[in-house]
Amino acid sequence: MREITLREALNEALKQNLQRDERVFIMGEDVGCFGGIFQVTAGLMEEFGPDRVIDTPISESAIVGGGIGAALNGMRPIVELMNIDFTLVCMDQIANQAAKMRYMFGGQMNIPLVIRTPSGAGRGAAAHHSQSLHALFMHIPGLKIAAPSNPHDAKGLLNTAVSDENPVLFIEDKMLYNMKGPVPEEYYTIPFGQASIRREGRDITIVATFRMVNKALSVAQELLSKGINIEVIDPRTLCPLDKETILASVRKTGKLITVDEGTRCNGFGSEIAAIVAEEAIECLQAPVIRVSAPMTPVPYGPTLEKFYIPSEENIKEAVSRLMGYG
Amino acid sequence: MATEVVLPALGLTVEKGKILEWYKKEGDPVQKGEPIFLVEADKVTTDVESPSSGVLSKILIPVGVEVPILTVVAIITEPGEKLAAKWMVEGPAFSTAETSAEPPVSPGERPRAKTGVPGDRGIVPAARRKAKEYGVDLSQISGTGPDGVILLKDVERVLAAESKISVVKASTLARKLCEKEEVPLKEILGTGIRGRIMQADVKAYLEGPTATAAGPPLGSTMPMSTIRRVIARRMSESAFNAPHIYFFSEVWLDPLLQFREEVLPVFDKHFNLRPSINDFLIKAVALNIADFPMLNAQLKGEEIHIMPEINIGLAVAMPEGLIVPAIPCADRAGLVEIIRHRADLVARAKEGKLTLQEIERGTFTISSLAQYDITHFTAILNPPQSGILSVGKTDEKLVLVEGQVRVKRITRVGLSVDHRIIDGTTAADFLQHLKWKLEHPAFTFMSL
Repeated sequence: MREITLREALNEALKQNLQRDERVFIMGEDVGCFGGIFQVTAGLMEEFGPDRVIDTPISESAIVGGGIGAALNGMRPIVELMNIDFTLVCMDQIANQAAKMRYMFGGQMNIPLVIRTPSGAGRGAAAHHSQSLHALFMHIPGLKIAAPSNPHDAKGLLNTAVSDENPVLFIEDKMLYNMKGPVPEEYYTIPFGQASIRREGRDITIVATFRMVNKALSVAQELLSKGINIEVIDPRTLCPLDKETILASVRKTGKLITVDEGTRCNGFGSEIAAIVAEEAIECLQAPVIRVSAPMTPVPYGPTLEKFYIPSEENIKEAVSRLMGYG
Repeated sequence: MATEVVLPALGLTVEKGKILEWYKKEGDPVQKGEPIFLVEADKVTTDVESPSSGVLSKILIPVGVEVPILTVVAIITEPGEKLAAKWMVEGPAFSTAETSAEPPVSPGERPRAKTGVPGDRGIVPAARRKAKEYGVDLSQISGTGPDGVILLKDVERVLAAESKISVVKASTLARKLCEKEEVPLKEILGTGIRGRIMQADVKAYLEGPTATAAGPPLGSTMPMSTIRRVIARRMSESAFNAPHIYFFSEVWLDPLLQFREEVLPVFDKHFNLRPSINDFLIKAVALNIADFPMLNAQLKGEEIHIMPEINIGLAVAMPEGLIVPAIPCADRAGLVEIIRHRADLVARAKEGKLTLQEIERGTFTISSLAQYDITHFTAILNPPQSGILSVGKTDEKLVLVEGQVRVKRITRVGLSVDHRIIDGTTAADFLQHLKWKLEHPAFTFMSL
């Protein structure tokens, strides 16, 4: 199969959706003429025109609010927020309007809205443009959250997001845009709520998100030579969350590490640890370890930023601590 | 000298009692044999007499509090004697049943907090569960995890050690006799204290099977061994939780016996192995389970789990109890592999060298009494499995085949299943197909 970057995979998915359904349109800051801050929408305005790929003013509330209105009136908007940090500017539109409207009106209407937004640190973009806020949205009922870790999943999950009748927050790890991988040319979907066991193992379960999946895989590969057999689970969507796959794995290995770039307190790892504590504690052979970012704003200086992002070394330390438990 | 008044053992099954009334106050004189309090246990009330004469100096357990038997409830001192300091401490204000909705605190249990497990937090949950399941005393285990945390493998190590009865206790005379007669000690059943092998046991062993089969003397009482405790717990759990249904069928064994005769020389020449009827049985059962996956099911809470591997357990009888090592993935294993595995597992079972995993991985069990004069029997499921096959003796029967009287060798097999998840028709189907497989060995074992 041909290999393309995650950016190209997303671009292809957007293009195919624009071709398949005339109700689909794209809206956001610099998505048209400029092709998007990370070039995900490059070339789409040329191909589909300014009516279907719309450059907006710098107003996140208007972008998401406009998307909600269009979705309510039968369109299938895909809006882009330039950084996940900016979701906080339009939190009312996302959390109070998009997420709740269908529920509050007794299911009389759908909101088939996709909000695409890049997330994560690593580009020296400082505390306002580097956060990993996905756990914040896991707390809000009514939102689905896609979290791809590779080009193949990115395309399949984005297609599912566009075809979903409910609002989907589609989060893109900005450090993965250049990641290459095999992606089918045709249109395909990946169901939400189905985790992927990226590597089978019997000693330790690692549940990781976004590019942390790839770091976990790399650690798993390296430690195999030491006889440590790590299972790596990529949930792919944070809501709905495939907890059965995670629980089955922990029941097998008895040991759990979560790896996530979000800050520690009430993070993704906390939720996974809580689920395991509630439903499989009798299988645990060791403490649960959360590898996460520290409780601090993302630093600007490159040395500190590198220290801030969970590293393969951090994962190895966690593994080594757990191996003390036999 | 002060006398401790204890809550007496009020009956064989009574564990706790509650004082309903104190007939005396602190400071009252008491006479030996005089009733001093009224206790209720198992809904029966009994007066308890004073164990000595003197002064009832201190009442430790007030009315309404339930305490375990043998708890010290009061102190009687001789007139003029001072109460020892240790009894002077004002105990915690016991909440009484009348004033509190909470279950009353049992003061007698307080000093033994958490049953003396060292650093109660230092046990991983999986180890705690396993220890509870197999009745392992955690206080006897030293943990090998960080800061001495007890790990799952620590519990498993203890279980493995217990199951092999690592230390054979024997008297010097018995050991000498064994050496002289070249008899392995561990084959002898000890009748001494805690299973110690005595000279008489060795002699009895040498005299032949009738003597060893005699078992323990009448009127003796023995503690249960760990393995016996586990069997007892698991069998009652299975018998009382899983409603069993039983099915029996007669299998015409001549084709399989003949098939075996034919392949014996081949196996002998190429592999130096001798397949037993059990080996064919294991393979046929595994292939049949592949056709009926429900028989590989395990009920866990509200979910039915169809186990991914078909691991056939073979019940092996040992003096200390039944043990069931399992042959892994028997549906996919070749007969040679099954024979080797079976022979190795049975041999190691008898030496007590099985690993826990070899015992626990089973998903279906075969229990054979074919060497006994037993026509058929019902078997109790080996939990959490859902099916067990019992195999009786093979004997010759006269049958009519197209009007002609013929002799056929027939064996009777029984199937027990867990009716919670397997219905009669499924079980009957399974057994019928198994019968067909055994009666048509050429088809069944075609690919071996």
